Amino acid sequence: MPLRFDEGNVVFEGACMVEEALGLAEHWRAVPPGIADLSACTYLHTALVQVIAAAAPAEVVAPADPRLAHWIMPVLSPAALPGRSRS
Amino acid sequence: MTNALLARFIPEARDLLQSSASGLLRLEKNPTDATAINEVFRAVHTLKGSSGLFDAMALTRLVHAAEDLLGEVRSAKRELDSDLVDMLLDSLDQVSAWIDDLERHERLPADADRVCKDVVTRLRAHCTQTEAAASDTGPVAGGAPAADLGWIADLPECDRIAVFGRACRGHPVVAARYRPVASCFYSGEDPFNLVLQVPELGALRVAPPAPWPHIGDLDPYQCNLEFFLLSNGARVEIEHLFRYVSEQVEIEQIQADALIRITGDHHAAPVHEDFADEARALVAAQDWAALRDATAALLRLTNPDLRNAAALRWLAAVLDAPFPNPAWASALIEVIAAGGVPALGAPPSEPLRPVLTTVAAGADPIREADPSNACSDDSLQRRIIAAQRQILAAASDADRVRRHAPAVVQILAGLARVEGDDRRAADVAAAGEVAETDGTTSMLLALVDRWLATDTVVDDLSDEAPSRVQPDSADAARATETGVPTKPDSAREERSAAARMLKVDQAKIDLLMNLIGELVVSKNSLPFLARRAEQVHGSREMAREIKDQYAVIDRLTQEMQGAIMQVRMLPVSEVFDRFPRLVRDLARKLSKKIELVIEGEDTAADKTIIEALGDPLLHIVRNALDHGIEPPADRAQAGKPDHATLLMKAFQEADQVVIEVTDDGRGIDPDKVRAAAIAKGVVSAAEAAQLSDQAATELIFRPGFSTAAQVSDLSGRGVGLDVALTTVEKLGGRVGVTSRRGMGTTVRIGLPLSMAVTRVMVVGVADELYGIPMDVIAETVRVPRRRVKMIKQSPAFVLRNTVVPLLRLSRALGCAERVADDDVDEAVLVCRIGGNPIGLVVDSFREGMDVILKPFEGVLAGMPGFAGTALLGDGHVLLVLDLKELL
Repeated sequence: MPLRFDEGNVVFEGACMVEEALGLAEHWRAVPPGIADLSACTYLHTALVQVIAAAAPAEVVAPADPRLAHWIMPVLSPAALPGRSRS
Repeated sequence: MTNALLARFIPEARDLLQSSASGLLRLEKNPTDATAINEVFRAVHTLKGSSGLFDAMALTRLVHAAEDLLGEVRSAKRELDSDLVDMLLDSLDQVSAWIDDLERHERLPADADRVCKDVVTRLRAHCTQTEAAASDTGPVAGGAPAADLGWIADLPECDRIAVFGRACRGHPVVAARYRPVASCFYSGEDPFNLVLQVPELGALRVAPPAPWPHIGDLDPYQCNLEFFLLSNGARVEIEHLFRYVSEQVEIEQIQADALIRITGDHHAAPVHEDFADEARALVAAQDWAALRDATAALLRLTNPDLRNAAALRWLAAVLDAPFPNPAWASALIEVIAAGGVPALGAPPSEPLRPVLTTVAAGADPIREADPSNACSDDSLQRRIIAAQRQILAAASDADRVRRHAPAVVQILAGLARVEGDDRRAADVAAAGEVAETDGTTSMLLALVDRWLATDTVVDDLSDEAPSRVQPDSADAARATETGVPTKPDSAREERSAAARMLKVDQAKIDLLMNLIGELVVSKNSLPFLARRAEQVHGSREMAREIKDQYAVIDRLTQEMQGAIMQVRMLPVSEVFDRFPRLVRDLARKLSKKIELVIEGEDTAADKTIIEALGDPLLHIVRNALDHGIEPPADRAQAGKPDHATLLMKAFQEADQVVIEVTDDGRGIDPDKVRAAAIAKGVVSAAEAAQLSDQAATELIFRPGFSTAAQVSDLSGRGVGLDVALTTVEKLGGRVGVTSRRGMGTTVRIGLPLSMAVTRVMVVGVADELYGIPMDVIAETVRVPRRRVKMIKQSPAFVLRNTVVPLLRLSRALGCAERVADDDVDEAVLVCRIGGNPIGLVVDSFREGMDVILKPFEGVLAGMPGFAGTALLGDGHVLLVLDLKELL
């Protein structure tokens, strides 16, 4: 199971595919989003990117893969939408 | 050409294009000509279908757009006027040009996606119905390069500066905006990860076009993201990456200065005006190092949020380039001094390189000339390239190489881009990086030499015809003018040389074959003649000479027959070729892991047979994938490898070509088949109970079986294995199935090698000879009369524990019956008709022979019970029976 739920906190592990999106959205509907831990995540499907971006969890832990982290973090962390990127 | 499938597609596509073009022209004259519109539609539709097999996405999409338009014309939603015909013909010309490209290079030209997009946009603009759908799927580029790039300013400045820096070192800059359709997840797309695959991704902004709803209202399977990105990769590569979603993406190659967008609070301090004065002077003196220092110093003093800080950062970036562009620097200095928008973008005047002094005067005209003129400056271009080569060759040590490489690379890349050759530009950039890092020039030198070599050839050509320069770029130039490239002249020349293939109407081959058949038969009369010469005319010598001649003619006719058979023989790969793709697609659809193994694809058989095999095999393979092979989970439980294997094997066995489709799936459960057959009324419960397991398994071939309960997306759509069986039987073949529960299923198709010659068994009935096709005959037996039992009114006998009903052929044919003689055994021909054995009582067995079967013609055509006639060597006509009809 690539997603592990612990109250509002969710740990993403390995390749997280599109099938997880509905479960994640429903989970955060039931429990207010806490920390999204992507440190062990290697692949995040767009649908999951969307759910995290929309849910705006209090904290997003960046993936270990620097390239993935570089491009994904501005999308995921709430401050990045849409303000931060305007320089 | 290595790809045989493609080699066949090309002449076929040309035919289709030809027939649709002539159909369009007829339509233009008479728009109500229903035959013509159907013909055009069919041709375009076929082209679309078959082009999908190749990596020619652009071609398929273009043809698809044309098909949509034609569909509207056909359903009378749209009137066909000359403009429309023009446009369609232009599109067909484009397709034709691509076909030429496919023939020469086995791929479409690099700009195909772009051209396709333009043409499709124009076609779609005419297309009422799909337009509405297309426009809400995302921004459809108008074909004009003037797409709104205002969003570039929203990208993080540091990323933009990084991209800019690479651009100044000769890399291209590509800006792309990708708006996936909301339903894209359902088609298996993953936009974010697609974007991450963009080569040399330099900057990315992802924004939801609509604000995020509350998490409770969020539909996680609706894509609500838009991607804005910059890359230093080659445009063709990016277009290739996005080829499946090209309607949802705008890709533009932009000038580096388009990245310079300055944002922030405007607040000019006096110190900035002083700086501006000093900077202007430094620019005029081209003292870049001093200006760089001054900029850095001022930047440290300036609040980073200010607009001027941004301008300074950009100025620093401009100055960081190996050869700073004075125009950009000046523009930025003016912004720092006075605010406003930097005056950039006008003529993309990149600075001259100091190393270029020898050809400096010519450099600018080339850079600014539009591509069509660039070619006329061909010799100048050559001189520039040659100059770069000298510089590279002169750079003896690594340091010098490192110093000069960036400039050389930038010039070469610029030239390549002027020529419209993005690939070469990318190559140059890559080779440049090697030179800069390793300090070796070998890669760059090789590239330059290749370039010069190709251009030399062009020079030779242009000596003869001054107006005709490098065909490729001239065509590219025309292409950009008209949007539709004309057919390159070179392609035509190559084709006339390559046209070794002769396309012949099959009827002509058939005629030839019939004539040879006649020759075989008339040749057989020579031995009779020889006998006559000896017996009637008493000349042994004459007889021997005739026999000698006969031997020669015999050999020749046999060779001729063999040759004409060869013409009609095709390898089985003809039908097998389509399966790897089909199996792959179906496997994905079914989420099964299936490996297709093809064996014996060289086995050859007659064209008619090969062509008719396609459909039956399709049904069989679909069935195997859908019903035979288990999902990976079930396989794991059964202890099988999770990759299922589907084996398609062709081989020759005696005078048959056999094709076996074997899967290692769950096999066929005879009990389930029995139950299903009973449920569907194919057999009664009592019948089913009597069937052996093997016979029950074969019920899957019964008509009516393959429907209802097992309908899935793939098979069971009402056309099933019974179709396969009927088709194969019509060709004189047989289908059999063997299955082991849990181990897999093998379907075996046996077909005659050739349709031309039919093997018959000659039997005598009431002093007449009749031929019976060998493929229905199981065996010949002699049955003593006393073993013939009467079951009710019908005679029958027991053959190896099976009751075989007996039938007198003389009675079936309505001939006089021979007087029964109890001592003589009955000659019984055991035939299988519809899977059931039947014994035919004949008067005598004669030999088996190959004959050329001719169906009845004229008034005899309707005669039931006869397959046709064949001529025997002695001039007799042999009637060949069709037992299925007769009995």
